[in-house]
Amino acid sequence: MKSYVAPLYLLVFLPAVVFLYNIVPKKLRPVVLLLASYLFFWSISGKLILFLLISTFSIHHFGLWLSSLQEERNRILAETERPERKAVKAEYIRRQRWVIFLAVCIHIGTLLVLKYTAFFGQNLNSLLALAGVDWTWKIPKMVMPIGISFYTMQAMSYILDVYRETLKPDKNIGRLALYMAFFPSMMEGPICRYNDDAVSLWEGRRSSVQNLVFGAERILYGVMKKMVIADRLNIMIKTLYSGYADYDGGMMVVAAIAYTCQLYMEFSGTMDVVIGSAELFGIVLPENFKRPFFSKSISEFWTRWHITLGTWFRDYIFYPISMSKPMKRLTSKARKKIGNHFGPLIAGSIALFVVWLFNGLWHGAGWHYICFGMYHFVLIASANAVEPYTKKFLEKLHIRREEGGYKCFRIVRTALLVCIGELIFRADSLRIAMRMLKKMFTDFTFRSFTDGTLLNLGMDKHDFLIVAVSVLIVLVISIANERGICIRQKLAEKKVVVRWAVVYGLILFCIIFGAYGMNYTPVDPIYAGF
Amino acid sequence: MKRYLKTALRFILFCVIFMVILMLLSKVFVPKDNQKSAGMEAVQSNGILGEPDNTMDYLVVGDSETYSSITPMEIWRQYGYTGYVCGTGGQHLYDTERFLAQALKKQSPKYVILETNALYRKTAYEKVLKSQLEKYFQIFRYHDRWKSLTLNDFTGSVNYTWTNDYKGYRYENKVVPAALKDYMKQTDQKAKISAINQYYVEQMIKLCRKNNVELILVSTPSIKNWNYAKHNGIQALADQYGLEYYDLNLMPDQVKIDWKKDTRDKGDHLNHTGAVQVSDWLGAFFHSKNTLTDHRQETAYSQWNDALGRYDQQIADGTAYEISHCKK
Repeated sequence: MKSYVAPLYLLVFLPAVVFLYNIVPKKLRPVVLLLASYLFFWSISGKLILFLLISTFSIHHFGLWLSSLQEERNRILAETERPERKAVKAEYIRRQRWVIFLAVCIHIGTLLVLKYTAFFGQNLNSLLALAGVDWTWKIPKMVMPIGISFYTMQAMSYILDVYRETLKPDKNIGRLALYMAFFPSMMEGPICRYNDDAVSLWEGRRSSVQNLVFGAERILYGVMKKMVIADRLNIMIKTLYSGYADYDGGMMVVAAIAYTCQLYMEFSGTMDVVIGSAELFGIVLPENFKRPFFSKSISEFWTRWHITLGTWFRDYIFYPISMSKPMKRLTSKARKKIGNHFGPLIAGSIALFVVWLFNGLWHGAGWHYICFGMYHFVLIASANAVEPYTKKFLEKLHIRREEGGYKCFRIVRTALLVCIGELIFRADSLRIAMRMLKKMFTDFTFRSFTDGTLLNLGMDKHDFLIVAVSVLIVLVISIANERGICIRQKLAEKKVVVRWAVVYGLILFCIIFGAYGMNYTPVDPIYAGF
Repeated sequence: MKRYLKTALRFILFCVIFMVILMLLSKVFVPKDNQKSAGMEAVQSNGILGEPDNTMDYLVVGDSETYSSITPMEIWRQYGYTGYVCGTGGQHLYDTERFLAQALKKQSPKYVILETNALYRKTAYEKVLKSQLEKYFQIFRYHDRWKSLTLNDFTGSVNYTWTNDYKGYRYENKVVPAALKDYMKQTDQKAKISAINQYYVEQMIKLCRKNNVELILVSTPSIKNWNYAKHNGIQALADQYGLEYYDLNLMPDQVKIDWKKDTRDKGDHLNHTGAVQVSDWLGAFFHSKNTLTDHRQETAYSQWNDALGRYDQQIADGTAYEISHCKK
């Protein structure tokens, strides 16, 4: 099972687990989920399941350790006179920080070693070569358990919440293990929070008919996005990105737009399958997408795209940095010197810089990923900086931000900026990304659209037509969702003939127009590699 | 309980209707001819579908080693036995079984030669499942034909018209010598055949027994793919099921492969001179069995003599295999 749209997952594994889950007694249901999750993990990563087990055991232990320190502190505080309490608190904060430090070393350390050794090694060797040192470090090959970036972030959020005392550590290691390993979200997220999801995971509620129908419909919609759109675009995207030198700027625009479309359809489609899979068990996972291409600014885009990653960075990096004492001091000083608008922006921008640096690095070990992060940092930070001027400018021109025309302009502008960012993200290296961008702006022509080049990239006119129709379907559903209409609910209110016809239609649409089998190479789960 | 039963029945009805739809659509999507232009996959191997019914004496199944090592036209030339190579590149045993089952629907050969290289190919359960889906609902295999469907696909029936003068063999005269090494060093080790591959061998044995066909295991020469441990594994399998097994890698006195001249890719596959030697051995082997009839003088088989003429001409021209050479 290499992806959530693999027939083995959709037609064998998932139905078998749903069936087993519903026939065993309530107490055993979470155990079924946990065993199924480990089986799923093992089927992909084999012995590397040890990493997950070690991570689970250690984070459970660190949680209990922190909790015992907090209880000890509370006990001592109750017996301590007021003037000495501050010193006791400080001492226990110091001790807890040591525990956090150890937890970070183990979890983030493992992630760093497995994921970034090659990147750091290559850069070290380049530096040594630049310095004229006649020695290179033989970079060891690392293995990566599936979903390590995701479960590590879940482990970190758990332990940091325990440290902040917004979460009581769980004595039940099974519940924690299921939170870390729940198979639908293990490979590509969403990144869950213990407070929100662990209890419902362990509850063992029986699946209702509505759960099963709604879950299956959501899965089907995700499969359509992935197999019909993302996989169909794959050949063209591979051709354009590997042979970019042979094409003009017009084709670079196509490459940027097509990849953005593919990434969205692949990732959001997989999230539909993931969330639909969880729904089959009556479990509601957090949404990771909220129609991102209706965003009117880049910062809004990132509140609609990979939402759980964004909120993780916000809660565990942005806020701790921007609310730290040195940053607060910096803000108050800056306010006095450069005013109330720019003053707070400095601390905010520093925190934002760190967030986007980590965001870029989280996506992959490569300079183009870092550049992707920095690109968004610059866009968001500059938008924040010029906000008062933009406001004044629009007021002078009597343009209302939420007015149709200007709103459309903002949506299109944001989408285009996102496409440029995704081109940097997809290119094989930073140098190639820059060359492709340069071509886009200096060698733009419509020649390739008319001389047959476009239809020679692995997609014929039928393929373009089916992609266009599918994107239109997604657009219509997205507009309905944006207006608060739940299509599945609406469908459930229809007569059975209509319901079945729609579902048959969607399944057959995927079977007939899906890009699988001979002549197709489906795109690998993009986010599973991060 | 009653509610759950009702839901379960509804679900079953939903699935049954869906399967009927898939079966009907499979009839629409399946190619109506066995040519590439009609959307047929693996046309060289599926050329067998265009052969007249019950005209094959033997079939060869397996991966690329089959169509590189066995040229049925040479066997026809010398002995007048008819055969077809149904191998495809990188073939997995679930496909081997499918090709065999498909061929046995129209043909009743005396022998089926199973080339053994595919028995050691790693087979993912994922692929097996896909293959089973494609086997029962051909729409999964031919769904992409939506681009070229015509009215005939909805109303017409299947009519396979094309066959292959090379009878599944793929001519290659390139020589890329192999580094000489003792690749068949004797050992007691036994290479393990995966459970899934063993299952498909069992299915093929059952299929052959049901059709009164003798299944014979043959390992064609390959420095790159073969070794003694694999030989031992296949020998054990042959002993277990009572099959005849011939390892040509261990028969240098009968099949004299010169690895400097008889391979096209450093010992992975044989070239034409190598294939002629293996085919000579196979022809002699069939002859020694004394169960097949020489059809060379039979008018019903005159097309084989015509095909031999074209085959010889193309070999003389040194033309690499192309489907266009073999169209009727």
